[in-house]
Amino acid sequence: MSIDIALTLESIPKMLMGIGVTFQLLFITLGLGTALAIVLLLMRISGRWYLSVPSMVYIYVFRGTPILVQVFIIYHGLPGLEFVRESIFWPILRDPFGCAVVALTLNTGAYVSEILRGGVLGVERGLLEAGSALGLSVRQRFIYITTPIAVRLATPAYSNDVISLMKSTALVSTITVVDMTGIARTIVAETYAPYEIFLSLAIVYLIITWGIQKSFGAFERRMSRHVKQETAA
Amino acid sequence: MDATIGWWDDFFWAGLEVIQVFFVAMVGTVALGLMGAAAKLSKSRTAQKIASGYTIFFRGTPEILVLFIIYYGSAITLTSIFQFFDPTIKFVDIPPFWAGSFGISLIVGAYATETFRGAFLGVDPGLIEASRALGISNLKTFFYVRVPEMWRLALPPFGNHMLSVIKDTALISIIGLDELLFVAEQGMGATAKPFPFFFAVGGIYLAFSTVITLTAMMLEKRANRHLEGSR
Amino acid sequence: MIKVFKIATLAATVLVAGFMQSASAEKLRVGMECTYAPFNFKNASGDLDGYDVDVAKGAAKLVGAELEFVCQKWDGMIPALLANKFDLIVASMSITEKRMKKIDFSAPYRISVGRLVGSNSMTTPLFDDAGKPIAENFAGLKIGTGRATTYSSWFEAKMPSAKVILYDSSEAMYLDLENGRVDMIMTNPMKAFLKFLSKPNGKGFKFVSPQIDEKKFFGVGVGIGMRKGNDALKAKLDKAVKTLSTNGSLEKYAHKYFPFAIHNEKWTQ
Repeated sequence: MSIDIALTLESIPKMLMGIGVTFQLLFITLGLGTALAIVLLLMRISGRWYLSVPSMVYIYVFRGTPILVQVFIIYHGLPGLEFVRESIFWPILRDPFGCAVVALTLNTGAYVSEILRGGVLGVERGLLEAGSALGLSVRQRFIYITTPIAVRLATPAYSNDVISLMKSTALVSTITVVDMTGIARTIVAETYAPYEIFLSLAIVYLIITWGIQKSFGAFERRMSRHVKQETAA
Repeated sequence: MDATIGWWDDFFWAGLEVIQVFFVAMVGTVALGLMGAAAKLSKSRTAQKIASGYTIFFRGTPEILVLFIIYYGSAITLTSIFQFFDPTIKFVDIPPFWAGSFGISLIVGAYATETFRGAFLGVDPGLIEASRALGISNLKTFFYVRVPEMWRLALPPFGNHMLSVIKDTALISIIGLDELLFVAEQGMGATAKPFPFFFAVGGIYLAFSTVITLTAMMLEKRANRHLEGSR
Repeated sequence: MIKVFKIATLAATVLVAGFMQSASAEKLRVGMECTYAPFNFKNASGDLDGYDVDVAKGAAKLVGAELEFVCQKWDGMIPALLANKFDLIVASMSITEKRMKKIDFSAPYRISVGRLVGSNSMTTPLFDDAGKPIAENFAGLKIGTGRATTYSSWFEAKMPSAKVILYDSSEAMYLDLENGRVDMIMTNPMKAFLKFLSKPNGKGFKFVSPQIDEKKFFGVGVGIGMRKGNDALKAKLDKAVKTLSTNGSLEKYAHKYFPFAIHNEKWTQ
């Protein structure tokens, strides 16, 4: 089996043209998804059943079904319903990129809200009690004590989710969005060289993932600068 | 929903395919996870590097891409490898079922490697010492003390791995396996009514993941039954 | 640790051995899309049906081979053939020069044409009387085609500035025309007529171009694809296709779906 190096080298720039779409998708979905996650989290820990139950059901459904199925339902399934086509959401759902954003946001919102909840649960009661003894209200305690600590605790899991999200963006090539994977599939279809193209694309994704992990590592170190570090054995 | 009626037997068989892929991929995941963890925990630098490379590659590459590479690329590689040993072999083929299961095993196995590694490291050294002090052999210590403890620690994230496996089976539809999503696409093509089909597929997957989550919870309860305060 | 490694490796090897399968030579595996009615699709009872399926079965009987059908997404069809996923492609694949560089084809068993389908409200002519496309009138329109099809090649060559959306499957493409995600699609006119324009969901649409069958892009027709180097098989299949044509089988297969025959000798506008 011979590897066509020339083909690989000239395909990489073509695939990189899709990187803009990949990143746009990543950042928009992260922003919206995290916002959604915070809403879901507040609903979940609110203690009022009419808020926490819908939130739990939502999280359960979106974490329990494959993301590809969710993408297909939103892209193929929804337009089949009359009232969707007439609604105000139609301009967004009409555009494949819009559908991708909606599907990925809804999905990542569920995962991130569970991650944040893990962070919130990890805050030591002692700290909250101290805050209460100092006269801070529930709201103040939440904003000034719980949140910074929860964020720090949740960061490793959150960074994993960001990487997962980045990998999920590759799925949008199945609903006609022209991202790096979409371009790669077109090149493969024309040159019949799947190995070279897909492997080089994998390396591109690896580089991006590595970059994300490094950034989060730096962020984590900064957030933990007040914590005594164990010396590595 | 009545658009789907003629297709329920297809969904049934496709559902069985998904379950089969799940079990095969789970065996692969556990095997690869243990191999990877063993390699990472071993003294050999080479083994550690290989295992590191493995986890970095498969945790950082989109799943769909891994499946494409294995499906299209593997037959060529494997054929060349096998022809080296036996030139009379015409070709070695990997049907989508095995390519997909293998791909999922590789991907989730990379995550499992980290999970098992952390779990092995988390086993209380005191327990091992106590076991040795009682005169229990190394082998027996391994199977009766280390593994059960490791398993208990690994269970929560392992439950997530099981969920990942079943959800990743949906991706195999893209390389042509007759699983649920592929059936839904065919149904959508034949009836031009996409919504009921995809909705049904979502429901079936939700049912599967519920079963897995409940199983994981039961396993956790059982593994922790000896601990004080566990209900 | 070593024990774990050994046991796990053993398990992995057993698994890997199970992953391997050598296929036998008497059986021919046929790759097709399985979502391309009425040529190759799954009917309500879950069996593969369609013109391509009938041609494959007919040819197999004539060459004395057993068939196994493998479903494959269109854009991976040729890579999959080259990767030995199956031995033949009977999926309405047009015999084009570009493809002939990589694979061999049998004699054509169906003609290959394309046509644009758009909404009834389209009034500006997109093609002049000579059948040439008027580039300016295409501006701003979104056109759907399949990835790696003769249709997308035609568009790329004729109108590189047109906004072409590439689809994984034709069914998704038709649905998007219906719900307005694309303004036009370029597709096989036989399929368009049978499965879309004559059905209730196709009511608001019509053909917006003449038939396009430039040999350069569409070839001489659609044929059975196979890997290069198998001249014996190619000769057998050529003969089989010719026989199916002369003994009226192709016509019979076509009549199951169309009021006309669709193979080269009999095709009329």
